[in-house]
Amino acid sequence: MPVNLIEIQQRLTDFSAQARARHEKLATRRQEVTDLFEAYADRLGDLREQFQKAAQVNPHLRCAVPLDEPLDAVVAMPDLPGTFTVMAADGSQINPSRHARVAFCVINVGIVTMVRGSGEAPSIQTHSQLLDFDALYTPGGRMISEGLVALKRDLREREALAELAAGLRKPVVSMTDGPLELYREPQESAAYDQTRDRYLEVLGRLRDQGLITLGYVDKPGSDLIARLLELVQLEDDQLSAPPAHKRRYAGVQDAQWLEARLAQPGDRSALFGIHSETARAFTGDLALHFFYLNVGLPGKPHLARVEVPGWVARDRDLVGMLQAMLAEQAAILGTRPYPYVLHRAHEVAVVTLPEHQHVEEMIVAEFQRRGIPVAEASYKQYHKDLETTKTRYA
Amino acid sequence: MSGIEIGRLLRSGTTGFVVGCRVSQLEAPSFGALVRVPLEEGYQVYGLIYDIHIDDDGLVRQLITAEEVPEEVLRDNRENRNVPVEIGVLALGYQEGGRIQHLLPPRPPLSLDAIYLCTPEEIVSFTGAGSFGYFRHILRDESKPVDELLAAHLKAAKEAQQAAGNMDWMTGALQELIALQRDDYQGLMNLLRAAGDIQA
Repeated sequence: MPVNLIEIQQRLTDFSAQARARHEKLATRRQEVTDLFEAYADRLGDLREQFQKAAQVNPHLRCAVPLDEPLDAVVAMPDLPGTFTVMAADGSQINPSRHARVAFCVINVGIVTMVRGSGEAPSIQTHSQLLDFDALYTPGGRMISEGLVALKRDLREREALAELAAGLRKPVVSMTDGPLELYREPQESAAYDQTRDRYLEVLGRLRDQGLITLGYVDKPGSDLIARLLELVQLEDDQLSAPPAHKRRYAGVQDAQWLEARLAQPGDRSALFGIHSETARAFTGDLALHFFYLNVGLPGKPHLARVEVPGWVARDRDLVGMLQAMLAEQAAILGTRPYPYVLHRAHEVAVVTLPEHQHVEEMIVAEFQRRGIPVAEASYKQYHKDLETTKTRYA
Repeated sequence: MSGIEIGRLLRSGTTGFVVGCRVSQLEAPSFGALVRVPLEEGYQVYGLIYDIHIDDDGLVRQLITAEEVPEEVLRDNRENRNVPVEIGVLALGYQEGGRIQHLLPPRPPLSLDAIYLCTPEEIVSFTGAGSFGYFRHILRDESKPVDELLAAHLKAAKEAQQAAGNMDWMTGALQELIALQRDDYQGLMNLLRAAGDIQA
């Protein structure tokens, strides 16, 4: 037996007690956040002032920024337009590995385009990109990290949407899974900057093409609003980068306490801006904004966080259309709401293990044909790939 | 090559085979239809569709829970996704060197061989050859809905034979079935009831 279940069982009492204690601590914190949320619902000026002070002294500050809607605004969704296009792109990748016979990286992006109201089957496309061999290594000679590959995948997803935008029936909503904001790995800042700049360029292209762009975050664990409210509890001398373990509302996720407020399917929260180190590069029309949206069923809310660029956030008719469109897409998947086109794009994009092996064999064969040396897989990889089912000798 | 292609072979054995097809091809095949698999020159295997099976998957199960499934989503699942449709075929005989035999085929079809619906002329040729020897392959397998399968086959074959001017074919077929089932009263009664539905 691979897991010693008896040892696990013996730990379960303590484990459950810790979970209960944490649950109770977080419930108290959530109540405090909710009280603050109500108290500051209309005091947007005070919040902005405190935020500005914190932003000046804390370069690592990450929080929501209030716009013009009261904090506790609940905005119902409007009716859907009769016909509209909804696109989704999702990517998966084969990361380069030093354990494989050859180093290679593939980014596979699936794109699903559905014209609602047309009665037509959606169009499905797959773009598979084999990264240049030279792109697999950093200037320092190391193999690129999985983080950088993920960043390149995010870029490819948006590029694929922009490439397919021509001739679509408008309005067009294009979405990807996860935030629009990018996360950086400190050791790869040059490559990150390059990819981010290209990413911003593509987001600009999507805007120019009139593609309403959004990033969809399911089961969001973010605490951007709680972090904003945390600021009003701090004295001025405490505003500069308090250590993470001193955060007053650490662990309080926005979606948990907002859920009860956004009661009806399609309800959205107020719109907020995002302030963070990485969000700073997104300016003007591309500045990052978000709202929470109930995509659940009547009596069973389920919140998603939706990130949109500034040009979309400014136009509340567009935001309303996004609400209705996302609620409808999520409802297609019934009791586990999630945008249908996003799920399909994932289904199309996913690279299976046999496909991974097939691509590797193609590359190895080409190398051997051209007399390029091919290494053995690492012995660690070799043993991992062995049949693990226990057999018995007769 | 005549007939409509309904799919390609997934797996096979001497007594039957399973065909995979796209949902868009699913309008053509029907329960009890006679099909053929052309193999090498002059050799083809005949069989009868006894089962059309549509598997579910995780997404389909989830879509069932939605209040409404838009037309675009229905078409996506039927036209774009690999909805597994499997057609079970019972081997009935073969043709080699121009001669039809109601014996099990000496070699089964191979993976990805194309399967065609038989045209009325091919039905007439296969069912009119010999003396209904292929009935025993149908009657042998009690795990299949034999009565319904025979009824569906007899209906299609009778129509094809009558269109070809063979008005007595059905009578001969029923006499052969009565002879084959004489030791199984209940089975015979079920068969005659099913045959009665065709005549009505």
